[in-house]
Amino acid sequence: MKKTLAIVLAVLLIVTSFVSCNKKAATTTTATAAPAEVKPVLGSEPVKLIFWHSGAENDGVAIDNLVKKFNETNQYQITVEPVFQGQYADSLAVMMSMSAAGNYEELPDIMQIATGGISGFYDCEKAFSVDDAIAYFGEDIKSNYLTGALGTWVYKGEQMALPFATSTTITYYNKDLLKKAGWDHCPDTFADIIKLAADMKKAGITATVYQDVPTTSTIAPWLGQLGSYVMNGKNGTEEDGIKLECIDNGAMKTFLTEWKAMSDAGALVSGSPQKNDFYAGNVALITGTNSGVTDFIDKIGGKFELGTSTFFRVNDKASYGATPQGSALCMFDHDSDVRKAAVWEFIKFLTNAESQAEFGAATGYTPAAVGATDLPIYQEYLATHPQQAIVSEQLAKTPADMRGCSPHSVINADFYFGIQNAVKDFLSKGLSVDEGVKLVNDTLQPLLDQVALLVD
Amino acid sequence: MMTRRQKRITEDVIVSVIAIVLGLIIIFPIIYAVLGAFKTSHEFLNPKLLPNSFKYLKNFQDALRKGNLIRYSVNSFVIALIGTTVRLVFSILAAYAFAYYDWKGKQICFFLVLGTMMIPGDILLITNYITVSRMHILNTYLACMITSFVSGSQMFMLRQRFMSIPKDMREAAQIDGYGDLYYIARILVPISKPVLTTLFVQSFINIWNAYLWPLIVTAGKANMRTIMVGITKLNSWESENYELVLAGVCISLIPSLILFIIMRRNMRKGGMEGALVG
Repeated sequence: MKKTLAIVLAVLLIVTSFVSCNKKAATTTTATAAPAEVKPVLGSEPVKLIFWHSGAENDGVAIDNLVKKFNETNQYQITVEPVFQGQYADSLAVMMSMSAAGNYEELPDIMQIATGGISGFYDCEKAFSVDDAIAYFGEDIKSNYLTGALGTWVYKGEQMALPFATSTTITYYNKDLLKKAGWDHCPDTFADIIKLAADMKKAGITATVYQDVPTTSTIAPWLGQLGSYVMNGKNGTEEDGIKLECIDNGAMKTFLTEWKAMSDAGALVSGSPQKNDFYAGNVALITGTNSGVTDFIDKIGGKFELGTSTFFRVNDKASYGATPQGSALCMFDHDSDVRKAAVWEFIKFLTNAESQAEFGAATGYTPAAVGATDLPIYQEYLATHPQQAIVSEQLAKTPADMRGCSPHSVINADFYFGIQNAVKDFLSKGLSVDEGVKLVNDTLQPLLDQVALLVD
Repeated sequence: MMTRRQKRITEDVIVSVIAIVLGLIIIFPIIYAVLGAFKTSHEFLNPKLLPNSFKYLKNFQDALRKGNLIRYSVNSFVIALIGTTVRLVFSILAAYAFAYYDWKGKQICFFLVLGTMMIPGDILLITNYITVSRMHILNTYLACMITSFVSGSQMFMLRQRFMSIPKDMREAAQIDGYGDLYYIARILVPISKPVLTTLFVQSFINIWNAYLWPLIVTAGKANMRTIMVGITKLNSWESENYELVLAGVCISLIPSLILFIIMRRNMRKGGMEGALVG
């Protein structure tokens, strides 16, 4: 806790000194005139690249394996050194420290970044966006990736990074418990959860039906299903998010109405989902990232049959889907043609269909490259992890313009906890829906006002 | 009516019980970590405190392999040992100057030293990073330890200790023809050994446990990481394998425990001397 607090404080300090040196306001060093030919330069001399990643445990092993494969097979004398940089927040703090210090030569060539760090990366003067690279190399590779996964990494209209470890929020359910209650399928909407609660009660099942509280990751798709964004600029991906959009258009009111109905019916326990309770068979439904499937299977250990389904819909009028999330790869410009070309080769390697299928099969992440799921290695993985099959269905159903919520990194942590606390207080204090909407607005809008002041 | 002896025994029993309970509360997280490190992931979900077997060592093997903890432990050990030693040398010399010399501006200097204790370390993160970067020592042991070379709190504590030693001893040494360095090395340090031992252990553990600073200054070289960064590597966002993290924590505790066991007698004396000085 102390360590997390220290990191958050450090990030805030760095960001406040850093935000003034906006990349776009500063001189644009990238994406200028494309060199006539880059390929011949590449391979003429050895190039060493530094790759910062946050892949812990199995993810780290899978990343090391991919890097090793690249080092052994590339034809251009490129050697990549993967360096673990701690968790995403740590990595971002390090990157921002270096940028704030103007110590650009210490920045990596490639960095793994989570959604919370995209605005920090955008502000870095040495950011080399995917759009920059496409203009520089004249090679548009965007069609190689799933549109939804690519859209997560757009910031202020610019493709900043390429999806690498992609995941989406799905529903996990205890098939055995639901069978006892007479259900052979997972609830689809909040109203279905209420019906399931009633049936579980009738069947004498005392387990918790559903325990959850919305976070930045889940509120964005729930409001997105209702055709709304949490905040302006498509949830802050097209422009800085400085105004809550979901208040005026009534989407937050609709969401809170359905959420309260679940709570009032005894179908919802308001609080963060407790995976351990689910593993132990004490909770019937839980939402979580699909990349955790292997962990779910291991921890349940055959105690009950695990089912997966698409992310709950708010009501039967809502569309299906949840935004792809996870992490992406971003590039830095070190003012060297050969190094830039080497980075481009490496990032294409890590995100191509073969690498994505291999990484997905090793870690549980969903390949974001088109065609990767059809490759034998991923098909074999799906055969042993059938719960992952739902992900493709969900991604196909997710509207193309649905976006994850990307508050500015200055307020990212406060926003994340702000939503949770406001919705929890709304239920625990027995407020009306209108009062709940006001509480959400009063909690989150002041945070966005801080961003407005900063960008001014 | 209780006799004096009965009263003393009763008091002893009450104090002992309170001390044991407090001791258990303090040591329980460590016991939990050790027991948890021997559990399988299924056992970990079970509220039972004891693992099924103490022969289950896979978590330790995985922690060493996935976290690269052997290499990182060596890095941390080098950084903590040299950092602590240099810090103590500087602190002894500075404390000696504050305790035994009189010069113009001494009070201001002393308050400046005390002032450094009031600045949170995180505030200095960027300025320290810029300094170290301009010295061109990033990704080296020196970068990790340089900010720990000077400690205001250690200077202050040693100054207080030195001031409690009669000045006559220094004068006697001077009459015998010994200079300051001889007096420090042969007289002051040996009689301050308990305090120095306590400061050494405390400082070693602080540097050993450092996370953010080593993370920043070794960002460009994978094999320069410290053990705390290695433990973070065991904590995945998707799979919460606490038993693996606990195994890593147990491994990281070993040097501190060995140091504590070796030096505990001196540390106890240090605590008692501190009490008398106070």
